[in-house]
Amino acid sequence: MKLIFDNTTLDLKPNGKSYIATFDGKTATVEILRAADGKLDLLIDGKRVIAYVSADNAKRWVTVDGRTFLLTKSSGAKRRGAGGDQASGLAAPMPGLVRSVNVVEGESVTKGQTLMVLEAMKMEIRIHAPMDGVVKSLAVKVGQTVEREQELIKVESQTSKD
Amino acid sequence: MFKKILIANRGEIAIRIMRACKELGIKTVAVYSDADKNSMHAQLADEAIHIGDSSPKQSYLNADVLIQAALASQADAIHPGYGFLSENASFAGTVDSAHLTFIGPSADSIRAMGDKAESKIRMKKAGVPTVPGFEGLESESDFKKAAEEIGYPVLVKAAAGGGGKGMRVVNQPEELHEAIESARGEASNAFGDDRLLVEKYVADAHHIEFQVFGDQHGHLVHLFERECSTQRRYQKIIEETPSPLLTPELRKQMGEAAVAAAKAVGYYNAGTIEFIFDPSLSTPALSGDEGFYFLEMNTRLQVEHPITELTTGIDLVQWQIRVAAGERFPYSQEQLTQRGHAIECRVYAEDPANGFFPSTGKLLQYIEPRGPGIRVDLGFRADDEVSHFYDPLLAKLIVFGESRETAIQKMQAALREFVAHGVTTNIDFMQDVLSHEDFTSGKVSTKWVENKFNWKPSTPTFESLIAASLADLTIVNRPSSIVNEHDPFSPWKNPNGFRN
Repeated sequence: MKLIFDNTTLDLKPNGKSYIATFDGKTATVEILRAADGKLDLLIDGKRVIAYVSADNAKRWVTVDGRTFLLTKSSGAKRRGAGGDQASGLAAPMPGLVRSVNVVEGESVTKGQTLMVLEAMKMEIRIHAPMDGVVKSLAVKVGQTVEREQELIKVESQTSKD
Repeated sequence: MFKKILIANRGEIAIRIMRACKELGIKTVAVYSDADKNSMHAQLADEAIHIGDSSPKQSYLNADVLIQAALASQADAIHPGYGFLSENASFAGTVDSAHLTFIGPSADSIRAMGDKAESKIRMKKAGVPTVPGFEGLESESDFKKAAEEIGYPVLVKAAAGGGGKGMRVVNQPEELHEAIESARGEASNAFGDDRLLVEKYVADAHHIEFQVFGDQHGHLVHLFERECSTQRRYQKIIEETPSPLLTPELRKQMGEAAVAAAKAVGYYNAGTIEFIFDPSLSTPALSGDEGFYFLEMNTRLQVEHPITELTTGIDLVQWQIRVAAGERFPYSQEQLTQRGHAIECRVYAEDPANGFFPSTGKLLQYIEPRGPGIRVDLGFRADDEVSHFYDPLLAKLIVFGESRETAIQKMQAALREFVAHGVTTNIDFMQDVLSHEDFTSGKVSTKWVENKFNWKPSTPTFESLIAASLADLTIVNRPSSIVNEHDPFSPWKNPNGFRN
């Protein structure tokens, strides 16, 4: 059984009471001593490993040896290709509130211009135009709450006609 | 003594204050917004009053509603905690006029220290060293002249400011116009006051602050320093005491300056004098300048107060309550001593690999470290939601060791034991800060995280991948929707090997 986490593939085969794990040319025998309450007590090649694990849909939070990793389990689906158009969608870098929208759809903007301002907790985040262009669409309104990665605005680069 | 105190705050600090109240036999009233209806602080109080919707303006910043809640619950005092209304002079005044006690300094002291420009003038008069600079400037040409006189780089900052808002570093004259404009805009938005001042920018500055404490009978002392130079976005993340940089002579000088600064505004209750410290100037033989300058005073309890509590043995929150009730603070400056070393790490729900942006979500697992010399001041439990409405401080992890070295070791071990899943945290980041030689040698200045420490999260190990692939063996926190009965690899199909 192949398991894909982000860009990494791990192979895990049941082998009697244990598993054989293979990753990046390395192989290990994994024995499960205990699995309960979000905690795994494992023997990996005979070495005792305690792991704290949590799941949220495809996300796996893992803490081993004092380090925490967030891994996203992939079903093997292909990655989405980059957009074919020249428009650049700007997403919220953090969850928060749209405090001001300084442009309207169809407005010409210059690179670096402040398009809108978000606010969350103690921070104020200015969303700047990534290039010279025209506001193709606005996806949010003042006062709206946005999630991280939510699209805010699309700016289309101005293509010269000559 | 008070019979009942309303705590006008939330999260870990509300809980910290409640503990002190309970120890003193005082009843507590919590207030909570919509987002906090299941929060720990609302559940630990004797009474809890809903004060409005999730936005701070409608709840924790709404003075009228807070005072109504205090009157309705027959509280006799209000503790503001830190942040929110804690440094709002008019709130302190309104509390007084409602015949309630504000647990903090007088409204006049808050007002005097709240205005950066005005407080700087007062400090100069009191003989407290301040950063060379100019206040009360109007036109851009005044700023230009002032900046030239000080010498670039300069710092343009809001007179009413704090927390890094309305603050811009200007490296050359061409940048001045833009810096003034943007600092003005930010200051006006954040504080309703667009006055700016300009001062020398200390590039390699350390942030060293002194805890002061006074009663209402004119007695005021300092409780030594806290080194708070590990910061990102002008916000502290790691604090320690004593500072690895101060000599006993400098500590004495700075402590005396801190006491003079607080006395100049008739201060009582807990407060903190923040200094900028330039280690390159700290050898008086090289210049007449001691290298420390008054930055500002925080007229409230500080987030990092626990490290002072651990090294002095003084419970600052209990004493805040006791002096607010009129008691005398019984210790003289000579009786106060520091012992050992304490460090605080602020565990934030934020992503150090992505500009320290706050991370929100439900805490799927949350296990705090325990053991000798470890204190955790927390405001969250497993299953709690970390929302975007408030500061993403999950917990304060505080350790005490007999020396700086042992305290660092203890903190490292404690951070490794800390498990928080569901949001991204700065736990791994802080482990790497603590083990960096710049930290161990005390060289971390306030810009170090941004300019020097190029942190990258470690790549998943073989062991972590194995654990992730076996995660579904434990059913905790797993939404039922993802249980796949048809998954041939599901561990539930294979009952061997992992029974309890």
